[in-house]
Amino acid sequence: MNNLCCDIGWHSLCHWGEELCGDRVQIVGAGENSQVVVLADGLGSGVKANILSTLTSTIISTMMAQGMSIEDCVATIASTLPVCKVRGVAYSTFTILHIIDNEEAEVIDYDNPNVILLRDGKNFELTRTAMSIGGKTIYRSRIQLQEGDVFIAMSDGCIHAGVEISLNYGWERNAIIEFMEMMYDPGFTAKTFATILLDECNRLYENRPGDDTTVCCVKIRRRQPMNLLIGPPSDPKDVNKMMALFFAKEGGHIVCGGTTSNLAAQYLGKPITTSLDYYDPEIPPIAKIEGVELVTEGVITMSRVVQYAQNYLEDNKKYTEWSYKKDGASLICRLLFEAATDINFFVGRAINPAHQNPNLPITFNIKMSLVEELSKALEGMGKFVKVSYF
Amino acid sequence: MKVTVCIGSSCHLKGSRTIIETLQRLVSEHNLGDKVEMAGTFCIGRCTEGVCVTRDGEFFSVSPETAEDFFKDEILAKV
Repeated sequence: MNNLCCDIGWHSLCHWGEELCGDRVQIVGAGENSQVVVLADGLGSGVKANILSTLTSTIISTMMAQGMSIEDCVATIASTLPVCKVRGVAYSTFTILHIIDNEEAEVIDYDNPNVILLRDGKNFELTRTAMSIGGKTIYRSRIQLQEGDVFIAMSDGCIHAGVEISLNYGWERNAIIEFMEMMYDPGFTAKTFATILLDECNRLYENRPGDDTTVCCVKIRRRQPMNLLIGPPSDPKDVNKMMALFFAKEGGHIVCGGTTSNLAAQYLGKPITTSLDYYDPEIPPIAKIEGVELVTEGVITMSRVVQYAQNYLEDNKKYTEWSYKKDGASLICRLLFEAATDINFFVGRAINPAHQNPNLPITFNIKMSLVEELSKALEGMGKFVKVSYF
Repeated sequence: MKVTVCIGSSCHLKGSRTIIETLQRLVSEHNLGDKVEMAGTFCIGRCTEGVCVTRDGEFFSVSPETAEDFFKDEILAKV
């Protein structure tokens, strides 16, 4: 047992003019510390490709997670996939990243570009062994994991990016490695790595991808707890209990909300100092309390965090905002999306009498639904989320 | 003299930022930077009267429209 875990992030670009993507990523957990990630690229594009890749990725991920061998998986796919009338073949290429007990990775490639491993930000070529299963050549490698390893699985849309548009022969794997080494930052999440690579592919395609293009990254990282306190408890007698439980938790502490921050400052016996710097005109400035990582305003800041979180799960285009800005919402995003793996919410259900003014767009229900939406989005990012109400 | 403006949710929505910017601008135009200290605070519990501003502890209800008058009557005249 170690203290590592996987951060998995992926995204696809559709073939220009198609609504459905022919690439498919499926992630299935196999026990608490093992994951099977499959990236399948169906032959052709559109509906047919989508069906092929969905079948392939679902069959492989489910079977592998149940402990079946790769030979059985491939045999099942070969006898299941419908045969394309035009080409007389039935296939979908695939890559499997099998993370075992967060200690070891098994990488299996069938006709997709070879998986790239960045170790400490530098390319680390995997040793591949070829094996033949049912007439198909499949490459397999195994490696012991290290903290900070980033595995990059791609569909061939990446290496074909820019063919006959901006590049003669497409974007070669070596050039992709060079690009990713240059862009590497140890703080980036798997999703950010995937988005950076995909954005560059899209640029090379001049925004009209000639093939479905998918990147899936798996980053091996240390588990890091983070605790977020928002709202005073519904019974004022519970303030000390709530604060004691919150500050006893291991990891970072974020306090959201004006009244809540004042209570936290009182509990800690430290002064609260509020800054007047508006890094974003719509987000109230942050404050400081000694012993607390971050102190922000509540609902307005949190609404923005929810927007960023939902975008993160889609195309993640807004990482260009939250990844560097200094406003309260961006700071919360960096702590929750990048730094944390385990997040504990401490939510107070007190109704702020000042907010029950019909002229204000803040209601108790909005506050509660913000926390629900945020925890749902964080779970979508693969975080372990726990919510306690007071 | 210390002037504190509330930047809690409710006051923020009622225009704290505009008031802070107006006051900061007027303070520097009148070269009062060493006499008037500007600060922010989270909720002081009088949201319905916001935007809440205090001058050395004395409470004022200010809006973006009345910020210039507040500066003239309560800061410039009293500093």
